[in-house]
Amino acid sequence: MFRVLLATLLLAAALPAGAADGNEILRKVDRNLEPESYEMYRKLINIEPDGRKKEFVLYSVKKGRDKVVALFLDPPSDKGRATLRLAENMWLYIPNVGKPVRITSLQSVVGGVFNNADILRVDYAVEYNAEGIAEEKDSYILALKARTGEVAYDRLKMWVDRKLLLPTRIEAYATSGLLIKTLYFKDIKDFGGGIRRPAVVETDSPLYKGHRSVMLYSQLKKREFPDEVFTLNYLSRVEDLRK
Amino acid sequence: MILARALTAGLALLAVGGAWGAQEFTFDASEFQRKPFELGGYVEFKQQHFTLNQDGSIYLLNFHQQPRARLDQSTLTLKPEGKVRAGAASLNVRAHLEGDWETRAFDRTVRFDEFYLSYKPSPGLTLDAGKIPLKWGKGYAWNPVGFVERTKDPNDPDLAREGFTMLTADVIRNFDGALRTVAFTPVVLPVSSDMNNDFGIHDHINVGAKLYLLYHDSDIDFLFLNNGSRSRRFGVDFSRNLGSNVEIHGEWARIEDTQRQVTDATGKVIAVRRAAATSFLLGLRYLTERDTTWIVEYYRNGSGFTEPEVQAFSHFVDNAYMQFTANGNNAALSRAANLARSGYGRPNPGRNYLYLRVSQKEPFDVLYFTPALTVIANADDRSTSVAPELLYTGFTNIELRLRAFFLNGGAGTEFGERQNSRRIELQARLYF
Repeated sequence: MFRVLLATLLLAAALPAGAADGNEILRKVDRNLEPESYEMYRKLINIEPDGRKKEFVLYSVKKGRDKVVALFLDPPSDKGRATLRLAENMWLYIPNVGKPVRITSLQSVVGGVFNNADILRVDYAVEYNAEGIAEEKDSYILALKARTGEVAYDRLKMWVDRKLLLPTRIEAYATSGLLIKTLYFKDIKDFGGGIRRPAVVETDSPLYKGHRSVMLYSQLKKREFPDEVFTLNYLSRVEDLRK
Repeated sequence: MILARALTAGLALLAVGGAWGAQEFTFDASEFQRKPFELGGYVEFKQQHFTLNQDGSIYLLNFHQQPRARLDQSTLTLKPEGKVRAGAASLNVRAHLEGDWETRAFDRTVRFDEFYLSYKPSPGLTLDAGKIPLKWGKGYAWNPVGFVERTKDPNDPDLAREGFTMLTADVIRNFDGALRTVAFTPVVLPVSSDMNNDFGIHDHINVGAKLYLLYHDSDIDFLFLNNGSRSRRFGVDFSRNLGSNVEIHGEWARIEDTQRQVTDATGKVIAVRRAAATSFLLGLRYLTERDTTWIVEYYRNGSGFTEPEVQAFSHFVDNAYMQFTANGNNAALSRAANLARSGYGRPNPGRNYLYLRVSQKEPFDVLYFTPALTVIANADDRSTSVAPELLYTGFTNIELRLRAFFLNGGAGTEFGERQNSRRIELQARLYF
């Protein structure tokens, strides 16, 4: 009885420390992936089981921990579309429609395996709390739980390279425990300005058997923006930010 | 030994495969640098087949001289758009060129949907002058607070519309706390015989404004248009996410003075109703776990016709048509056609409407394929328009859409009196 009590007390004492370490690692992962405020270009490739591909090119800017804007540059059918995220609020601007409409994090503006939450990702530490941490030879494995019910994935299991403190793999789960998708971080590249991170993120999903989506990063650099950029009224003018 | 060779060959194959995998994905953003001049747009071909409703009032008004059971229409539309940038200024142009080949005649439309100069001295300030398609409101199918825009077609709410010529500005300020954003959009819209002549009464300079707030994660707009070419009106709208998959929105508008000509079954204008009118809309957008999107809206059109008023107009058209068939005199039908243009024949002239759109993203793992069903119902006379739809966007820069419309309702109802009872439409759009 005494042993059980002791073990319980030790576990209770260890858990918060593990969570604290996990959250510290998560914050470092966030900063190693991207500066807090940045601009970057991404190419999204959706690959169907028969090998057919559809590609999108996006220009994205971020400020602080939870403000992100993404503008579609290509293909012409999507050019000018812009999405804005302020914490859990998301909007989509379509030039033909002419005004922004609210969208939800689980929708996908591009189709395929990536959804809006992947495309307009804010810092992991903003959305998730580390509830546990395990260690493997080369990796930490963080057990992350969404801080609110509005986050797209209820739980994440994140493999983090111990030396680089960069993610190598993330499994995303629904509240029901269903595995929604797995993200694979590959091809670590030096973007300059002290940014060294994976240039390729691949994803697959048991919900889309045989489909794959890939996100490629280019020209990621630190840049500061005024707050007015992250507003509904600015969505039709995001193109003006590009130099 | 054989096993070792096989293993070596396998590893080499894997390495090559890996190398191919790495080569497969390359991206250099330098080819997407911003240019001082941009040109884009789309060309669209649409083929429509109408089954005409030979008992419907609108059919009788339009086809009493040349009765027919069916109608085909081919439409070719070119919508080029361009932008020229010079420092903080830009010129934005979108044209609309359309040719309609209908069974009876050919028609064409050439216009600019937008043509305006924009000056952006800072991210928080924009000044625009020219023809601008301003869009106000949060509703998907209707916008009772859309005070300075052309009416939206609920069958095609996402379609680009022609703007009005105006001066407008956008002033944005951000804050910390519950009130995160304030944006103010004043509008000056002159109306004369040469400019914006379809907006309302000529020789007025109309002033309107929109004040946007992002407050406690809700979008809120306060909107206003002064008394001028149109009567004074003001309104408010809102939109808010209730969770990661539910959004609610609403609009409320008060128009201080509306006029409607109400006719009886003999065609006599029995009343010119002048009164203030209140319109509103409540809506919901819900995404299920299976990626089905539900959009539901209720629209109260405060200045719309009541059910007996719509029925009286239908009787008037029937009587006018009987008169025409008896003695060839179409004077009453011409009078009815004028009344139809001024109100009865416009889209959704009634009081209470329900809108439902259900769309399923990529069913059966077919990427870029979206089937949908749209129902618009006149809640007073219970007539409906039911439109199933198939959309495919899997070919880069090509959008294919097949739609059918089934209009249901008895005599004297809105959809039962429309010009056609069925419509099939195939649309192919190529973006460039």
